Amino acid sequence: MAINLAGGGATVRKVRRARLIPLWALILGALVMALIGTSPHYAGTDSYVVGLIGKFLCFAIFALSVDLIWGFAGILSLGQAVYFGIGAYMVALSMKLNYTLENATRYGGNIPDFMEWNGLTEVPGFMAPLLSTPVAVALALAIPTLLAFIFGVITFKRHIYGVYCAVITLAEALILERFIVEYQAYTGGFNGITDYSNLRGAPFLWVIIAVTVVCFLGARVLTHSRIGTVLKSIRDNDVRAEFMGYNVANYRIFVFCISAFMAAGAGAMYAAWVGIVSFLDTGPLLSVEAVIWTAVGGRATIIGPFIGAFLIRGLEFVLSGLDIELAGRSIAEYWQIFMGALFIAVVLWIPDGIVGTIGNWVRKRGTGTLGQIREDQDRLAHDRQHDWDPAGATKPGEERV
Amino acid sequence: MALLEIKGLTTEVSGYKIIDNLDFSVEANELRVLLGPNGAGKTTLIAMITGQFKPTAGKIFFDGKDITGRAPDEIFLAGISRKFQVPNMYETLSVYDNVMISLQTDRKVFKYMFKRVSPAENERIWEILEFIELADRANDPADTMSHGERQWLEMGMLIGSNPKLLLLDEPTTGMTEQGKQRTAQLIEKIAKSHTVLLVEHDMHVVRRLGKKVTVLHQGKLLAEGPLAEVVENEMVKAVYLGKGRH
Repeated sequence: MAINLAGGGATVRKVRRARLIPLWALILGALVMALIGTSPHYAGTDSYVVGLIGKFLCFAIFALSVDLIWGFAGILSLGQAVYFGIGAYMVALSMKLNYTLENATRYGGNIPDFMEWNGLTEVPGFMAPLLSTPVAVALALAIPTLLAFIFGVITFKRHIYGVYCAVITLAEALILERFIVEYQAYTGGFNGITDYSNLRGAPFLWVIIAVTVVCFLGARVLTHSRIGTVLKSIRDNDVRAEFMGYNVANYRIFVFCISAFMAAGAGAMYAAWVGIVSFLDTGPLLSVEAVIWTAVGGRATIIGPFIGAFLIRGLEFVLSGLDIELAGRSIAEYWQIFMGALFIAVVLWIPDGIVGTIGNWVRKRGTGTLGQIREDQDRLAHDRQHDWDPAGATKPGEERV
Repeated sequence: MALLEIKGLTTEVSGYKIIDNLDFSVEANELRVLLGPNGAGKTTLIAMITGQFKPTAGKIFFDGKDITGRAPDEIFLAGISRKFQVPNMYETLSVYDNVMISLQTDRKVFKYMFKRVSPAENERIWEILEFIELADRANDPADTMSHGERQWLEMGMLIGSNPKLLLLDEPTTGMTEQGKQRTAQLIEKIAKSHTVLLVEHDMHVVRRLGKKVTVLHQGKLLAEGPLAEVVENEMVKAVYLGKGRH
């Protein structure tokens, strides 16, 4: 029953949209990546800073995965480290198994030391596929994505979201953390998995950079596309979207799986780069940290999580290097307090995060289209006060049914 | 058979019947106005039709199909679009994108993935924006709009989805007199090519539209017919206008 709408046609039919990738962002991004990629040459491959940079890149991807669901689809997850951690453990286990095959432990066995301590004499059968690197990488990516899918079906299909969803994800992270500590014969328990050869060095750094670029470009394309608009509409008003015929649960599951896939990739690279994983990499603490990075950098911006992760983790590193004492302790010991305070400050004063606030500021200053929007907003806020007259809309004596 | 047919619909919440054995129907291409005092069950009826609540008893038939107790998105895809009492849209998206989201397409995730706005769809969005006279604000975020403009935008979103039946729940609430006139005009324009079920409080608007009216009272059908007749109905007068006022 399409209607023929004969319009006036006097207006200019022009849709204003931001570019997919603005030129300045392309140049700046390429410069930063080139700088990071060449860092082993002038800082030395074994330098601590290069080690940190590779780690931060993984964290940046992880924060992006949080931003994708929280900033763009409105799902707050406090357990995203579950997917990061499972990816990391798969790769770490695989590397550890392969490493011990060639390098006997100090007890002379060819199985990981934590298995020996717990009375195992050979690698359990279900872990055998992890000996093959491609299989291990595939599992590191597939298992978290599958878990995210199952989680999504259980929660989103039953209309559980918002705070309840956040609490369930938090519980999820706690469960995995306990699981890893308890089943120490298979996971290394409290000590985590250590003493395997890592891939730290210039070649693998380029791999991380490549994956980072692909993830950030992919996230930009996704959020800029039509399906990205649907995700934002669900974030803004899920009831309206449902009454517009969208199966909101399916869209949530979709973006949750993509996010878990990204987090798993970041975790897998993290394990290979750093050479140690522990239960802390799967727990609520890292999950909440990623939320803080995203909030500080800027929710619902692509580059915000990157900046947030580098800035906060960088600050932590700088602070720990300072030799200042406060009440008899090194200043680095107060780091958690500082981070908490920073989070509160950001939420109170710059709720849009660093990138979001700069964006707002540029828009306000601009004289073009976006400046116009700001002006209109002020005018309309004024209009609306007069327009909106609930209940009292009718004057006395007027008929009201 | 009528486009929308409701048979023996009953909704009970903790012993109180909000809708009580209601029979009601809307013919295709009709503009029907639903009247009733507060608590008559108008919004509840709309919530039942769109699948927000499930009825205790009774059946709802739409376009010959039984849609009782189906999910909101399924009922939407069957061809019923609903405007909420309070303007309800995507606040941070632009006016253009708000209409774009509502366009009729396959809404399955994987079908949607690589879809872009086609020239035909773009044309359609602009037509709708011009129809609701908001084309000059196409690029502004929805949260910068005034209350009235938001109401019109939501109606534009409904048109965009090509529905067989539009449910408009009190679209003139809280508007100025000019706003109400403009809204009434817009409803008349929409009703030329759509079936509309309108819940309305404002008698000026109802008089102006001058169509068939259904009056609900305590979940029951009180009267039905042309406005002039219904207004003369003694029961309606008693319930609504208060005894002795006329």
